[in-house]
Order: sequence, then structure tokens, then C-alpha cells
Amino acid sequence: MRWVVYWSLFVASFKMFVRNRAALFFSLFVPLLIMLIFGVLNFGGTTSISLGLVDEADTSASHALVSALQANPSFDVTPGERGAELAELKQGHRDLVLVIPLGYQRSATPGSPGLVAFSNQSKPEQAQIGGLLLNAVVGQVLAGGGGGGAGAPLVSVEPLAGRSLGYIDFLVPGILGLTLMQLGLFSVSFGFVQLKRTGALRRLFATPTSPAYFLAAQVTSRLIIGLTQVLVLLGVGLWFGLHLVGSIALLLAISLLGSVIFLAIGFSIAGWAKNEDQAAPVANLVSLPMTFLSGVFFSRDAMPEFLRTVTDFLPLTYLNHALRSVINDGVGVGAIAGDLLGMAVWAVIAFLLAVRLFKWE
Amino acid sequence: MTHDTPAAAAAHHSGVRGAPIVVARDLRKRYGNLQAVDGVSFEIAEGEVFGILGPNGAGKTTTLEMIEGMRPIDSGSAIVDGLDVAQDPRAVKSRIGIQLQASSFFDELNLVELLELFGHLYDSQVDAMALLADVELTEKARSQVRTLSGGQKQRFSIAAALVNEPRVLFLDEPTTGLDPQARRHLWGLVRQIRDRGHTVVLTTHYMEEAEELCDRVAIMDTGRIIALDKPLALIDALLGRGFTKERVERLANLEDVFIDLTGHTLREE
Repeated sequence: MRWVVYWSLFVASFKMFVRNRAALFFSLFVPLLIMLIFGVLNFGGTTSISLGLVDEADTSASHALVSALQANPSFDVTPGERGAELAELKQGHRDLVLVIPLGYQRSATPGSPGLVAFSNQSKPEQAQIGGLLLNAVVGQVLAGGGGGGAGAPLVSVEPLAGRSLGYIDFLVPGILGLTLMQLGLFSVSFGFVQLKRTGALRRLFATPTSPAYFLAAQVTSRLIIGLTQVLVLLGVGLWFGLHLVGSIALLLAISLLGSVIFLAIGFSIAGWAKNEDQAAPVANLVSLPMTFLSGVFFSRDAMPEFLRTVTDFLPLTYLNHALRSVINDGVGVGAIAGDLLGMAVWAVIAFLLAVRLFKWE
Repeated sequence: MTHDTPAAAAAHHSGVRGAPIVVARDLRKRYGNLQAVDGVSFEIAEGEVFGILGPNGAGKTTTLEMIEGMRPIDSGSAIVDGLDVAQDPRAVKSRIGIQLQASSFFDELNLVELLELFGHLYDSQVDAMALLADVELTEKARSQVRTLSGGQKQRFSIAAALVNEPRVLFLDEPTTGLDPQARRHLWGLVRQIRDRGHTVVLTTHYMEEAEELCDRVAIMDTGRIIALDKPLALIDALLGRGFTKERVERLANLEDVFIDLTGHTLREE
């Protein structure tokens, strides 16, 4: 290993990237712009109230209430256990959690347990509106059932300390994943194909230095640039009010693994394509579906079941989910082991593909 | 074509200056159905300017690239500075300088950065400014290659081929696409390089260029060498075969008129 050769090629690769306005524009400026636009617009003001529903009574009365709530478009209902749902509330994933206690009766008799809803203290707006809506729905169910109108139990709302996750908390991990994908796919496939087409790569062959040095320098400089981008975007995200609770070291490690996948795909495209016109459609074909189906801008929960199942396996889905879990929930390696495994499999597939498709000329 | 006899004979009779630094023996290269190079042999003496002439597709570039270690040799052998190219292309590359046809460099780096980078690729430190001064590009030191004119690009590409003080400098069509002024300027540069002791091997389409620059020329067609000698010897041989020009050559030609009218000054800045 001739370190001086590697180092001078690394510095050259770095300078080439930094001085290339198009590359800088797409890999740094565009993600920042997206973040600014979406951050200012704040899509966090969602219309439906996220409601955790804990049915401990499990009676026909409670079932009627559950179906009424599920039918109500104002609520996005997630059934679950009390402990789990309250945890979700504290994490900021639910606006309200309604508990239907054991022994709940349709017509409330004195002394029977009433309905309790827990709200997220840091989301007073949702708590207030949600509380009103809950009371209205419960009132309707009782009235429809012909039960006693007067003295009907209102839902008591108890605020719990929780945190408020805004859209920025959803967006930043997505943008990180998107940026790493774009950097790997586009900067490599376009930049490298250009060097191939103009003959600059061939000129390197005229020297006694193995082209592997250049490849190593290109890959490592892109990895460093990718990690720098992650830190810059996290910084901007914090400025926008991002709640970053996880380990930054773990985030960088996940980003590194993600970068490896997309760099390898980028080199596969660059190795196969003869010019930019061949590389562009393929790079877009790979990146566009993931941009919209891997949970960059919008939650994948809204997707049809079959589409979600299929896109669960996309590399960017794994990357985004891992980044989001660490940023929003501060989980450790264990909780994202599945994502990491999926990414590792993709990394191996992409690497083999790159080895198979890559041609210097 | 028999083995190395024509080349060897030519080398002896033309009184070359030193021991052969490049030896090509029966080089062959095939692309599909096309026999691009079909048994090429020659020797080049140290300090010589050797030209390979021929129409497009004659196999000039392929021959050059096999000797440079840039392209695998199907059969035959090439020895450069005592090293077998097929055995150790890297070692050969470290001792030669290569200017590719239509050379291209990294766009985002300036001339000094590129020369220093190329120096490192040969494990050597270079005095980039001195190299640029040699090819008269001092003022462009901090410019990028894409801002250079055609002649300046070719000169830079020669400077980049000189970073390792090569024993042999290979120039593939160095003056193609240049105007007469820039071409003449480049001839001056090639002579300077030869005077500093580098052996030069070049390909060209321009006969007056070969006549001006080359100590000996090999004329190739369809993958073979069909003539190899000093330019004047080739002309004498032709006249000896009873050749006469249809039109009597005047003492000047249109290029002389052009240069006389427009001068030698470079028009690229």
C-alpha cells in the first residue's frame, strides 16, 4: 500500500467533489432546501387525532364504542395494551390514549368505572380537541343505544408528561436517508461515467499506479462527505426543533452502512453505463421509487398493505427506519437489528453486482 | 513480413545514435474479425524521434498502446528499456511518458494540482512550475484544463507525460486539430524534449510533420509496416523507382503562404 498515492488521490477526489457545483447542489443544497421548505410549511399539523385504544372491558358495550371510534374519520385509531400505548403516548406517537376499563357498562350506573383518556401534556391542542371529540362520540353511542342520556359519563382527560414529535422529527431521518442515497447513486454514477467517457480514467492507467487506489480514494472520500452531510443536516434539523434522543455515533455507523449500499449501486451503474445518458435513467429508476415508497417525506402507514409489504424490503426503507428509530426513540443496536441485517444483505448484493458489472473502459 | 529483419536492417543502415530502447517483435492484435495489428516489428534507438505514419485504422494507436502496456498483446513481444511489457506493464509504465490521443484530465483540478498528483502516481515529487515553464503554461498554472485552448491542452498533456522524467515519451497524434501556428510551436517543444535526451515515439497524419521531426518513420497500412527508414531515404527510394510528380512542386506551398501571411505567433490566448 502506497499511502502517499492513496492520500493524494483521496485529496484529489475530495477537491473534485467540493469544486463540482452540480454535485454540491444536488447532494448538499437540495436536501437543505427540502428541509427548509417542509420545515417552514410544517406538515405536522395533521388533521386526524392519533388515538391509542385500550379495551380492557371486552364487552359488547365496549365493542360498540370501539367500532364507533374506528369509523370516525377524525381519529386515527390504534388498538393496544395499556402499557404499550401509554409508552407510545410518552414518545409522542399518540395524541390521546383512551382506556375502556374492566366492568365498563353502556349505561353508566353510579359507582361503575368511567372512561379515562390520557393526553400528551406537550400537545395541549390535540388534547383539547381530542377530548371534545371523544366526548361527542361517546355521547352519540350512548344516545344511539337508548341508554340514559342525563348523567352519562363524560370522558375524563388526564394529561401525562410526554414529548411532542413534530413533522421535523419525521422528516430529518428521511432526508438523511434520501441524501445518502442521492450521494451514492448520482455523484458516483454521473461523476465516474464522465471520467470514463472523457478518457480521464484511461489517463490514470497510463501511470504505474493501480486503478484500485483511485477506486478506494473515490469510495472513502464519498463516505466522508456522506457522514459530513449527516452531521450538517442533523445540525440544521436541531435548529428547526428536532428532538434528537439517540446516539450520534450509532447514527453515523448506520449512515456508513447505508452509504456503502448506495455507493456500490452507484458503481454498478457507473461500471455498466458508457455515458451519462445511459446512467441517468437507471439511477433515477432506482432512486425515484425509494424516494416516495421508503418513508422519506410521509409515513408508510398510509400505504396500502401489499405495497407496504413489498417496499419493506427496500434498502432505503431499512435505512430510514433505523435512522428514525435512533433519532426519535433513542434505541440501541438491538432494536434495529432487523434493519441492520437487511442493510447488510443489500450491501453484499450491491457489492457483488458492482464487482460483476464494473468495467474501467 | 519476416521477423525483425526490416527494422533491424533499417536501424543499422540509418546510423542510429545508440542501443535500441524499444524493441517490437512481430506484435499482433485482433479485434473480432479485424486484425488490427498484423506482425509489426521495429527497433527504436535511444535519443531518436521515431514516427509511425498511416491512414486511419492502420493500427498505429493499437501498436503504440501495446508497447505502452495499455493494451494486452495477442502475440509477439515488446521490450522497453530492457523490460518485457507483457511481463511487467507497471514497471514499463513507470519509465515511460504517455500522451493519449484526446487526453482528458480531472476537470476540477488546476494544472499545478494535476501535475503534482501525477507526480505522486509515479512516487515522485515534481516541480510543477518548472514543468509548466517548459511548455509555456506558467500563466495558466492555477487554471483548469477545460479553460485551455487546443494547443495549450496538448502542451499540458505533454507536461503531464514528463512528470517522471521518462526514458521514452509516446505522443499519439499530438498535433491533430491544431492550427499551423500551434502545430509549429509543438514541433519546437518536441525538439527541445529530444535535445534533453528523451526518446520520442509519435504517430501523425501529417507528412510534413514527420519530415520535420522524425529521424526515422514507419509507414503502416492495414496492420503492417510497409516501409521504415529515414524520411529522406524513403523519398530517394521513391524517386529511384522512377516516380515523377504530375505537377511540378513549387519552392513554396500554401502552408508557407499561410504562415507568411499570418505569422508564427500563437493564437490561443
